[in-house]
Amino acid sequence: MLFRDAFKTATRSLAHGKMRSVLTMLGIVIGIASVIILMSIGQSAQNLILSEVEGIGSDLIIVIPGAPASGNFSAPASAQGIIITSLKERDADALRREPSIVAVAPEVRGQAEVVYGNNDESVSYQGVNADFFVARTLGVKEGRVLTKSDIDSGLRVAIIGLDLAQTLFSERVTPIDKTIRLNNMSFRVIGVLDKGGSGPFGVDQGNIVIVPLSVAQKQLLGINYYNDIVVKANSEYDVNFVKSRIAFVLRQNHGIMTADKDDFDIRTQEDILSLLGNITSILTLFLAAIASISLLVGGIGIMNIMLVAVTERTREIGLRKAVGATDTDILEQFLIESILLTLIGGAIGIAVGAGIVGLIYVVLSTFYASLGWAFAFPISAVLLGLLVSTLSGVAFGIYPARQAGKKNPIDALRYE
Amino acid sequence: MIEVRDLKKEYVEDETSTQALCGVSFSIEKGEFVSIMGPSGSGKSTLLHILSFLDRPTGGSYTFSGRSIDDMSDKELAHVRNKDMGFVFQAFNLLSRLSVYANVEIPLLYSDIPPAKRHALIEDAVRAVGLEEKLHTETGRLSGGQKQRVAIARALVTDPNVIFADEPTGNLDSHSGLAVMEILAGLNKKGRTVILVTHETQTAEFAKRIILLKDGLVESDTPVIFDGTKKTQLK
Repeated sequence: MLFRDAFKTATRSLAHGKMRSVLTMLGIVIGIASVIILMSIGQSAQNLILSEVEGIGSDLIIVIPGAPASGNFSAPASAQGIIITSLKERDADALRREPSIVAVAPEVRGQAEVVYGNNDESVSYQGVNADFFVARTLGVKEGRVLTKSDIDSGLRVAIIGLDLAQTLFSERVTPIDKTIRLNNMSFRVIGVLDKGGSGPFGVDQGNIVIVPLSVAQKQLLGINYYNDIVVKANSEYDVNFVKSRIAFVLRQNHGIMTADKDDFDIRTQEDILSLLGNITSILTLFLAAIASISLLVGGIGIMNIMLVAVTERTREIGLRKAVGATDTDILEQFLIESILLTLIGGAIGIAVGAGIVGLIYVVLSTFYASLGWAFAFPISAVLLGLLVSTLSGVAFGIYPARQAGKKNPIDALRYE
Repeated sequence: MIEVRDLKKEYVEDETSTQALCGVSFSIEKGEFVSIMGPSGSGKSTLLHILSFLDRPTGGSYTFSGRSIDDMSDKELAHVRNKDMGFVFQAFNLLSRLSVYANVEIPLLYSDIPPAKRHALIEDAVRAVGLEEKLHTETGRLSGGQKQRVAIARALVTDPNVIFADEPTGNLDSHSGLAVMEILAGLNKKGRTVILVTHETQTAEFAKRIILLKDGLVESDTPVIFDGTKKTQLK
């Protein structure tokens, strides 16, 4: 039997039961649309996160305490909640002496309740030095940044994030020179960060309090080590060269002879992008895997309906066999029908998915413009959708098609 | 053309065996019109199924155009059914949602005949049964007699050597039945072999030879002669 004849026969059969065909396809439509939507959202989220990290600059290098994680995908030990105290002031001082480095900004972090008047908010705070603003290219919308004298004198001053300023203070009140309480200690607000800017790990800086490093270490946390050191490379040097210099200096300071004994991890923007890219890709795949459960349900629906169709059309199968159809001809006919069902369902699912993704984009860009959500409709999702729908047509259609092909023509012709 | 020798067919179900054919022997030459008659359970339908390659015997031999059924694969049997055999069933077995054209086309879908030549063959076959005006009518809208004529057109379209008709008038009124039998007789006159299974004597007498089965055996195999006013089966 020619393929075009098998195709024509299959389309005739599907066209005969239009409503049934449409309802059968529905499971596949929903399944494929779910996969497309989640993959697109995952891609958009990935783009958003990566673009924010890219915004921190390619010359930024972060030194994290603890042995390097194996491979880019693994999170550093410090990010897993393990306290490591290996990065200290003498490391920062040594790095400052390196000509390939223009700024060294050690950081410490903590969580605290911040209170102003009757308003309070749970926030992250960061202890930084003056270089922090150079390294991170952060500015203030109001007031000023921390100066060396603020740090050296241990003044309880604070710079707050833009979102936190809006939470704590009414629009008519300027936060500058107001006193807020952080862990029951008074801090004078000297600046409000301007919009945007992510931390080295994509941390939102809108809801943060930045205080002098010395105050954070001694008065808030009671520690003498750093959570990390952010380094800005001299633009005249290659970032990887600077990375190797940092490693050299720290090994000298820590008395380490070989790289495999390192008690620190150095990550460039490229490393972080790769790590985040891996995490978001896995997350997207995970979401797609969950969505594919609905595809499985849709596929079982196809198999069920095809089995019913084979039973209903037993006499037709008998007739076709009597006039010369082979087992393979009958199998092909039913298989093409199920593939057509899933393929058309898949195409509709892709269109529906694209429509919903577009709608999400319109809603987010209208009501949450500051989020910077971009429309992403990966071609891989379309190809995957078509491939998966075709494969489910084969997978869920083969059993009913084989049942049809194996029917005995005499029994089939006698079937009532 | 057709030669069966000591043909046997035994059905075994739930450890109970039934002997439908107990050793049937006869030959049918090309261009013959043969009726197979017999009471219910005599084995006539079983014989027709074997002769038309829809089933295989469990004993004896069956040779069609010089080839033994035992030497042919299922795929080869399907090919012979398509190329050399046409089928007319009591229940018509038309796809009622399809047009006359599409129903008659079905055997061609499984043939070696290229699509470009099919249209003319379908038109010729439909014309031969006098339904050219109904070519694009859904078969579900036709009368019983018209449906059986479509079934004959479908049997003719591949230009087979043999037409097997299983109770072709069983679901028809006498007028339509007569018309259908006249078409079959006409096809026989043009040289086609027609093998008919029926339990109606009037229908059987359109044939030139009647094989009477009883209890799975040939009870009589006699020619039918025409005496000028009616046909008579010779004992």
